[in-house]
Amino acid sequence: MISFQNTVIGYQHPLIAIENLTLHAGKVYALLGLNGSGKSTLLKTLAAQTPLLDGALTLNHFPITQLAKDSNLRAQQIAFVSSRFDGIEHLTVVEYVALGRIPYLSVFGKVTVEDQQMVSETLKDLGLTHLAQKRTKELSDGEKQLVSLARAFVQDTPVLLLDEPSSFLDFLNRENLLLALLKWVSRGQRCVLLSSHDIDLCLEHNLPLLALAGGQIQELIGQDKKEVVSVLLKGAVH
Amino acid sequence: MNRKGLLLLLLALVLLLSCFLHIQFTEVSSTSAAQANVLWWEFRFPRLISALVAGAGLSLSGLLMQNLFRNPMAGPYVLGINSGASLTTALLMLGGFPLMLHNFGLVGSSLLGAFLAAAFMFFVSWRVQQTTGLLLVGLMFASFTGSIESVLQSWASPEQVKQFFLWNMGSLQQLSAAQVPWLLTLFTVALLWSLLLIRSLNAFVLGQDQAFQLGVRTQRVRFSMLAITALLAGSITAYCGPIAFVGLAIPNLGRQLLRTQDHFLLIIFCLLFGALFLLGCDILSVYLEPYFSLPINVLTSLIGAPYIAYLVLRRS
Repeated sequence: MISFQNTVIGYQHPLIAIENLTLHAGKVYALLGLNGSGKSTLLKTLAAQTPLLDGALTLNHFPITQLAKDSNLRAQQIAFVSSRFDGIEHLTVVEYVALGRIPYLSVFGKVTVEDQQMVSETLKDLGLTHLAQKRTKELSDGEKQLVSLARAFVQDTPVLLLDEPSSFLDFLNRENLLLALLKWVSRGQRCVLLSSHDIDLCLEHNLPLLALAGGQIQELIGQDKKEVVSVLLKGAVH
Repeated sequence: MNRKGLLLLLLALVLLLSCFLHIQFTEVSSTSAAQANVLWWEFRFPRLISALVAGAGLSLSGLLMQNLFRNPMAGPYVLGINSGASLTTALLMLGGFPLMLHNFGLVGSSLLGAFLAAAFMFFVSWRVQQTTGLLLVGLMFASFTGSIESVLQSWASPEQVKQFFLWNMGSLQQLSAAQVPWLLTLFTVALLWSLLLIRSLNAFVLGQDQAFQLGVRTQRVRFSMLAITALLAGSITAYCGPIAFVGLAIPNLGRQLLRTQDHFLLIIFCLLFGALFLLGCDILSVYLEPYFSLPINVLTSLIGAPYIAYLVLRRS
């Protein structure tokens, strides 16, 4: 689903080099790394916001350069929930989630009955129906995170990127979030990549881990926490 | 029909009523039917169009600016776009080229100034990512152009200063019959252009990064928004002088009353209520004329400024 080949990523200066890596459909990958290791830059590159420095990168067979240029294609291939959502004045949860349908709307932005149906089904799936008419400014931090996820789901893309989605959630909502993501990738050709600092949660759900340290990415499967931490710390030694 | 639709319908009806009221109020006694006809086409009709277009256009440009900069305090005035138009007009009026004012000089120079100011702000917005920084640059620019205008005034003849002073106060009576089609054409172009942006405007509510992720060609939309604002603010400033607070206040009122971020509804509201607001101000100024004469800018500020102050206080 996502494949890197001799890819060099960075903001003006090279930060991460990935020789060969493929992320497969049907999985939720967790991107781990210390602060400043380049997790956000990697996600932004995958979202086509930051250009590649060198090498090749394809998402769902489309080269990232094409996705950067073709805005319609990009919006129908990649959804990105970046950092924290603060809520927007006068915007209710249903209206906010429906904005995820924008890539499919006409220039006048009129939401169709099918779009509305999709929004309410997604809210129902995530157990958020009771929030539908609430204003986004009035939500708790955890609720804001979950409605952002709903908006990304509604965008209905094969690739979903999330920048630290669990950081403002309590343990119960963290569970719900991961279960929702696992359920989502199980339906159809989809792949999720989320960055996180929550090693325990990722291990508990047996997520394939991508450890980012010292400008390299290492795929870890089946390691325990101690081993994961030692890989992550490699980058911090010098 | 829902509450929002009803409100807009009601607004449209009140606006229609106000148009009739405005026509009534501006009636001047005339000796013959032919004279009445001339008065209508030369004075009353252009005045009506001025009020409608200036109110609707300034509100629309304010809505676009507030959306672009994600700041409810943005507007063509605050961002220096009006100031750009004022400056080039001042250069023309006070710089000794008053003859050019009769042709396309006035609107041309005003549009040029608005476009230059918008281009400048576009460049600054590219370099300065923070909105507060951008608004500060806009305010500095406004104060800078104000100073240049003062310098120009000190050199100009009393006659020129008087002409500029009157223009600067804002007036809905400057538009001549021959200029009506020009103003209407520019307004229509700007309006149709902004209707094509509705989907993008709704996405911009989430910020430009998210809008990009939702498939909006952000660079192109940013340019379109500034160009539309320059077109509206430039042409309106040329024909009616700088009119304050309308562009800032009306879109905020719209979001507050409709409680929505759907820019389809907000554009309709801004057009209707903006037109209604200036029309109302003009009717009021005609009504008060026997007692004292109030320029339109004074009236819009008298009503607009306290409302903006209230908004700021409520937010903090």
